[in-house]
Amino acid sequence: MTLERVRVALYAVAAVSGVALVSSAFLLTRQGIAATTAIAAAVPPSLLFGFIGFASRFSCRALPLRTTGFTRLAVAHLGAAVVASGLWLLAWQRWLSLLGETAADTTMILGVGVLLYAAMIAVHYLVLEVEASRRAEEAALRYQLLAREAELKAFKAQIDPHFLFNSLNAVAALCGSRPGDAREMTQLLANFFRQTLRLGALDRITLAQEIELASRYLAIEKVRFGARLDMHIDVDDAAAARSVPPLLLQPLIENAVRHGIASTLDGGVVDVRARVDGGLLRIRIENPADPDRDVARGEGIGIQNARGRLAAISGGRAALTTTEDAGVYRVEIELPA
Amino acid sequence: MIRCVIVDDEPLARQLVREYLAMDEELEIVAECANGFEAVKAVSAHDPDLLFLDIQMPKLDGFEVLSLLDRSPMVVFVTAYDEYALRAFEVHALDYLLKPFSEERFRAVLERVRQQMLLRDRVPVGPMAAKLRTKPLQRIVVRDENGAIDVVPVSRVDYVEADDDAIVIATAGRKLRKQQTLGDLASELDPDRFVRIHRSYLLNIERLEKLELYAKDSRVALLRDGTKLPVSRAGYVRLKELL
Repeated sequence: MTLERVRVALYAVAAVSGVALVSSAFLLTRQGIAATTAIAAAVPPSLLFGFIGFASRFSCRALPLRTTGFTRLAVAHLGAAVVASGLWLLAWQRWLSLLGETAADTTMILGVGVLLYAAMIAVHYLVLEVEASRRAEEAALRYQLLAREAELKAFKAQIDPHFLFNSLNAVAALCGSRPGDAREMTQLLANFFRQTLRLGALDRITLAQEIELASRYLAIEKVRFGARLDMHIDVDDAAAARSVPPLLLQPLIENAVRHGIASTLDGGVVDVRARVDGGLLRIRIENPADPDRDVARGEGIGIQNARGRLAAISGGRAALTTTEDAGVYRVEIELPA
Repeated sequence: MIRCVIVDDEPLARQLVREYLAMDEELEIVAECANGFEAVKAVSAHDPDLLFLDIQMPKLDGFEVLSLLDRSPMVVFVTAYDEYALRAFEVHALDYLLKPFSEERFRAVLERVRQQMLLRDRVPVGPMAAKLRTKPLQRIVVRDENGAIDVVPVSRVDYVEADDDAIVIATAGRKLRKQQTLGDLASELDPDRFVRIHRSYLLNIERLEKLELYAKDSRVALLRDGTKLPVSRAGYVRLKELL
């Protein structure tokens, strides 16, 4: 508990005790007991009641207003109110008999106890509600910040210059012997970059658009890697229509080639699969990878960025997991609608 | 004749170098290699004068290839990455071609090659390259007498033992011998993971099960797989600092 909350708690105890003190002292004076004696006599039971009232905060927290049924709430708090007031009354009787007095009107004291307890419960719920809404605001703000940061990083990481240099080198090689293929390669490159810029400027795109970009990219890499790279893309209609943040998959597909295919002698298949399953969009990217490849341990920037963006857009409900076994690297994404 | 080997994992990149070389009658291509393993073998087999070498390749990168060579051809790196230029010159590479490169630039490289051929006093590149790999080292490359190459990620090394002027690397039940001193290797590895527990032993601390005292001031390290290694007094101090 922070210092701030301790102070608030002490104020709450003091306030309840004060109200209990004044009201019960008033009752006693009405029974003909001298005012000073009445106040002095009322102090210990009122303090006790203050603490009981404060403790009811924990039962309020355990029974949140929104998710607890009415009967359960009513029974629990009414029961607690009766027990608390009973305790308060008992304390009164014991204390007064110790002082050699008797309280004539015990029902009034019991009534004051129940009313005070009910007021305390109301205050607790109010405070809890204010706290919850402040927390929700903070979380929303944090996600907004995360989102902006992730977008920024994604844009920076968008174009890997080495991809461009290597592709241009391939074009230079094709010019000599296969000029027609060279022309086609420049077309592929231009289309890919144009599409990247166009999609990157949008808020959300369909998975179909993202997949189209990925196949353009893989077609270019296929020219470079030749027989070492094959692709297999399998996206069902429901998945293709779902909306995703632009360029979410692109860095992951690039990783699959750069750290996967490129790390193995014989290459293999970049396998992309997407399904809608129980309302969740599930995307899986698989590629061969050399288990002995020279990479620093831990996750790369691409995975971290994708994870950050997913968290930002889904408020933490989306998941990205990576696994690697038997020379196959796998990224799986689960995205709620 | 200047005899060349081209090493690049992309067929089109090899083709481009091949076409440029074909324009010069003085140059002969003796081998083309699609990866580092092939490159090490081809250099052994053909003893070429000149190596066109890509850096980013599967299994063995360009620098690892150099560290394994038993001959010393002139080396021209051909890569899309400019960040290795400094290291390239530190291993006495003759030149560094950035992809894509112009025909003019390529001719300039060949001119330097011809001048160098006249000098004929080549610096062996292998040992230099071995010293200049990324630190800490991520994997160790070993070549046995038969020319077979093993690439061992450092995470799979259990311990390394000194054996005369060579070292023996223990990894997953296998022992690989390499021509290098223990101190040399220790200086390349991550000091937070590999501890010199004894003059003759370098231990991967993730393999340590426990330390046993068997005489006064004398300890043995018990590894997960049951191996026991001696721990010297200085080694014990180093271990304690880390644990």
